Amino acid sequence: MTMASETPMQKTESRAAPSATPKKNNWARMFGLREMGVYYALILLIFVLTMITTYTGQDNYLSILNMTNVIYQASLIAIMAVAMTVILISGNFDLSVASVAAISAAVLVGNADAVGFWPAVALAMAVAMGIGLLNGSIVQFLGINAFIVTLGTMTAVRGLILIYTDGRSLSVKDPEVIATMKAFEGGKFDVFWLLVAAGVACLALGIGSILKSRAAQKQLRPAAVGTIIGGAALLAFATASGGELVLRTPVVYMGIFTTLVWFVLTFTMVGRRLYAVGGNPEAARLSGINVLRYKLMAFVLCSGAAGFAGVLFASRLRSINPAGLTGAELTVIAAAILGGTSLFGGAGSVIKTLAGALLLYSLTNGFNILNLGANWQGLIEGIVVVVAAAIYTVGNQGQAKGH
Amino acid sequence: MDQNTPIMTLRSVAKTFGNATVALRGVDLDIVQGKVHGLLGANGAGKSTLIKILSGTFKASGGTIIWRGQPVSWDSPKAANDMGVATIHQHIPLVPTLSVLENVFLGSGGAWRLARASRKRFDELCARMNYWPDPDALVSDLSIGARQMVCILQALGTGADLIVMDEPTASLATDERELVYAAVKQLSKVENKAVLFVSHFLDEVMALTDQVTVLRDGEAVLRAETHTLDESRLAEAIVGKQIVELERAAQGRSEAALAAAPIRLELRDLASSGRLKPLSLKVAKGEVIGIAGLLGSGRSELIHAIFGADKHATGTVVLDGQPVPIGTAAAVKAGIGLVPEDRMGQGLVPDFEIWRNLTLPALHSVSVLGSLPVTQREKDRGEEAIRMLSIKASSPDILVRELSGGNAQKVTIAKWMFSDVKLFLLDEPTAGIDIGAKTDILRLIRKLADEGKTVVMVSSEFEELLAVADRILVMRDGECTAIRHAHQTTEHELLLLAGGQATAKPADGHNSDQAAGH
Repeated sequence: MTMASETPMQKTESRAAPSATPKKNNWARMFGLREMGVYYALILLIFVLTMITTYTGQDNYLSILNMTNVIYQASLIAIMAVAMTVILISGNFDLSVASVAAISAAVLVGNADAVGFWPAVALAMAVAMGIGLLNGSIVQFLGINAFIVTLGTMTAVRGLILIYTDGRSLSVKDPEVIATMKAFEGGKFDVFWLLVAAGVACLALGIGSILKSRAAQKQLRPAAVGTIIGGAALLAFATASGGELVLRTPVVYMGIFTTLVWFVLTFTMVGRRLYAVGGNPEAARLSGINVLRYKLMAFVLCSGAAGFAGVLFASRLRSINPAGLTGAELTVIAAAILGGTSLFGGAGSVIKTLAGALLLYSLTNGFNILNLGANWQGLIEGIVVVVAAAIYTVGNQGQAKGH
Repeated sequence: MDQNTPIMTLRSVAKTFGNATVALRGVDLDIVQGKVHGLLGANGAGKSTLIKILSGTFKASGGTIIWRGQPVSWDSPKAANDMGVATIHQHIPLVPTLSVLENVFLGSGGAWRLARASRKRFDELCARMNYWPDPDALVSDLSIGARQMVCILQALGTGADLIVMDEPTASLATDERELVYAAVKQLSKVENKAVLFVSHFLDEVMALTDQVTVLRDGEAVLRAETHTLDESRLAEAIVGKQIVELERAAQGRSEAALAAAPIRLELRDLASSGRLKPLSLKVAKGEVIGIAGLLGSGRSELIHAIFGADKHATGTVVLDGQPVPIGTAAAVKAGIGLVPEDRMGQGLVPDFEIWRNLTLPALHSVSVLGSLPVTQREKDRGEEAIRMLSIKASSPDILVRELSGGNAQKVTIAKWMFSDVKLFLLDEPTAGIDIGAKTDILRLIRKLADEGKTVVMVSSEFEELLAVADRILVMRDGECTAIRHAHQTTEHELLLLAGGQATAKPADGHNSDQAAGH
């Protein structure tokens, strides 16, 4: 190395002693509540619900039918929550997702009879992404806080829906469009073999990674262990299904979208830069990253995902009520927070967000199964969100103090 | 109380952070009532830590603090305050959205926001200090100097007997400094308070203080009555010998070689309205340009304009004969790297590991298919940087927010060392870091230049510029007022050039001739 002159070289040697022993992986932290809490909570909830249903003699909660049902119910919110995670990572915020989803649904239902399903979908998506671009432009170019801007567009877009629908419900009448919608939203896939393949691939990757670190005499990587656990879970799920695992299309869309976003965030330059933009926009800018573009794209992605969720929603009901999806934005944000996404940007994981959405819908589902009534639901959900946030915050402080 | 009995005595006070960083290694300090005690030291010498111990923010890890003859151990700033120690921190902790009056009595009790009694007490305080701010003005509307005075009133309002002032004049203009000087004198001579005055400015310390303690690397290396000292003694005590060595190394550089070297950077009428007046400059390959100037003189603005980070900049930046389009992305692409002044705020992503920060500007060089970064390559690069720059970190997986200032700074510089960066722009690269890391970085700058890189470096510490730069450009009020060859100028001249003829001088007559340095 030509860089270091005489004296720093000597210093390097004298300092080499501590760095010779590589830092031990902090397993307690990696698998602590802060990092893995949302999975533990999900497993705990499913376990408790299973015990209760078994004890009271109801249908087994842990049945494949019930499980796929919960995932299906969560799918629309999960798609939006994954995109919300992206915008939260970029250091922004979007309250308008539910309104955007609703207007996309309204545009689809209002135009499908006249122009056909696919052109109406394109129009709905264009409207949704246009609103995202507008949100992003106001936030980035005028420098107004995203919370305020999207609070405004949330209300304004809802008003726009009322104007567009004149306050009445719209529905689709053309039988051809109805058939396309049914196929688009209600189609079914048997994903048994796909799941088996994914599970085996995860296991193979994990084991491969462990063997590699063994050979190189390096520390075991927590990611490898996580991959193995994930692969085992997928295989267990597949085995439990008994050879046939039918999922409806929204779940498949959710799976594809989440995998895609996860891949981009975890493995690509785009993902790395997005985290940097959220973690410290100024440092990112001075490192030559086009911060504006990343932040705008996050807004467009978030609204686009909301638009897509709206398309699925409209296809499911084939009609739209102007007040449809009201309040869903809070569930979306709650899912992202349960998944440990930071509201200050720079941190978050879409897989955990997905677990957060499943957690919320397992709660709802559990309430229905146990006949606890909707009265308790809001209270419990609220408590769960605050407890999760508390664990993440306190966990963070403990981590900071530890050093 | 006897005039010479210290009101506060520190005996071998030590402070260790976590398990490794030693900030103070046993400091003794005696502060006497009615006197101003100066506390000096380079960045990272332990001044701030000592102040935080005095003010109750930190607990000392060892040693004793004796306050009015009683050993004390404060566990909160409130406790210290109640005992009679008020601290005015460097980053003025006022509530900008409240009025002057409310800020002055922020810590005091009472049920009503605008009690008439507080107005009366406010007037009394103003009378004692002979300074009359508008009690109803919002603090956010005040200048920094006026805010500093509000802090002094606040400290006085708590009835404190010892007032600790952490660099009260660091960001003040000349006339505002005069106000603070007058206030300090009023406090010690008329109010008979003890004042601990922390400062970077030697002239101030010489003029204002009665006694001085100099810290270096967490130890008190000098304790004396001020009148027995002069500025060069102080300077020597503060910096030690390290920079002097570097300065000697600088003498050997050949000017002829530089003159023959091709032009790397050319600025043509680079300007930014209101902040930077048009500037044209040619810099050779392998040359180090130092930019000297006081805070707010436009030095950072110049750096940011060259980098294209200033949207309002006009003029052209030419690198190796190619004009660089305005914009940070274009600048990075062209081979310019910026190490900004505020490391954590502008240079690093605090929650990223060392390796993730390092590869941020040049991700494609560690990626496959031009878009997928390979973690192992990035970590290897992290290891390499740690080795090359002697970064004190056990592995590249350490988060940068856990690093000390000097090591974090090395990471911000290392960010640019793995791609083909031709021009390094360094804004205060040695501010707030310990002397060892500082020397490492200064050596590194010379090394970069010797390898043919061009460096433009801003520093408030002119002796550093003299040590590493080939030419020094002096800025004042957004304008380049002079260019000097490093070996043809002195710190004294640079100070005069940077401060103009109206160099900040303490009002005290008998010391005014020392204000310009040595």
